[in-house]
Amino acid sequence: MPRTDFIERMRRRLVELGCPVAHVRRLVQEVADHREDLKQAALSEGLSGADAELSANTKLGDPLDLAEQLMVALRRSSWWGRHFLIGFCLLPLLAVPVLWVLLLFLGLALAFALGYGWDVQKLHVAAASPVPFHHLVIAAHIADFVAIALVTLLFCGLARRSAVSLKWMVTACAVCSLYALFTRFHLEPHSFMLGIAPSPQWLRAAVPLLIAGAVYAFHRRTIQGFHENVLG
Amino acid sequence: MLTYIIVIGIIAAMKKTNPSFLNGVPELLVLRLLSRREMYGYQIVDEIRTQTRETLSFGEGCVYPYLHYLEAQKQVSSQRREVDGRNRNYYKLTTRGGKRLEELTSEWKRVTAGVALLMEGQHA
Repeated sequence: MPRTDFIERMRRRLVELGCPVAHVRRLVQEVADHREDLKQAALSEGLSGADAELSANTKLGDPLDLAEQLMVALRRSSWWGRHFLIGFCLLPLLAVPVLWVLLLFLGLALAFALGYGWDVQKLHVAAASPVPFHHLVIAAHIADFVAIALVTLLFCGLARRSAVSLKWMVTACAVCSLYALFTRFHLEPHSFMLGIAPSPQWLRAAVPLLIAGAVYAFHRRTIQGFHENVLG
Repeated sequence: MLTYIIVIGIIAAMKKTNPSFLNGVPELLVLRLLSRREMYGYQIVDEIRTQTRETLSFGEGCVYPYLHYLEAQKQVSSQRREVDGRNRNYYKLTTRGGKRLEELTSEWKRVTAGVALLMEGQHA
């Protein structure tokens, strides 16, 4: 098997397994260097060029198996890669409401400071007034959509960076979508409730799915571009 | 309240989990070799195999994700440069890596001493 074929097969398999492009470049370069060192060692032992190539390939093993071993080691090197269930099923469920509350409070604090200054006494006046309260409800809805979108993007990014398979990225998006589908918040003056929605929230649920689709399309384009660059 | 309990549970699980998949022999061996001099991947694999008389060995090529992990942890640093007409990534130990090596060495000595006591049948 020629050198380029061995390395090319390993590179393709790494990309197929969802290895981040930067890692692929570095791993391919270092394994190619390693293969050359094995070949040089075989040549110094008196083997012919062809036999040295064969010896190097034999020591490295099957390029597809090697790519899979490299991916396993890469996944195990991050917390996210070792704890799929907690990382991509449970944490998104907690991250959405936490981020929503943070965004809402930050936004409101900023808006209140800009509108009223840091006068806490005026907070009660604003909360009881219908017009500022209407604005608060709109802000809460915007923060809700932004939180769902940001958490979905965050977990998609974590899935890609930690080189876990595409299914865990999809799982995180599905969890965010299910959360958005079956929960809702209710806001009244001096009262707030977050709970199960009486009817499915289709618009909210669509946000993570749309992001998942966009991330997947971007991922495919990146892989295609990477293959074309290397082959070109 | 339920959310609070879940969050506490997750944090506890994260703390209990071994923070490093390299907490052990491979990490100790790689850091020990790099404490002597800077090396590239092939040299590390070869040195481990020869110095342990083939008792221990990394799979060819599989050392690189470990080295990248150690680099991400700032325990080693790498530099690509040309030596004798060959371009390779050379890895060397950092100060943090040196401290980690001291910790691992001390832990290794403690464990092997304990195992030796048991194997020799001595009792406290």
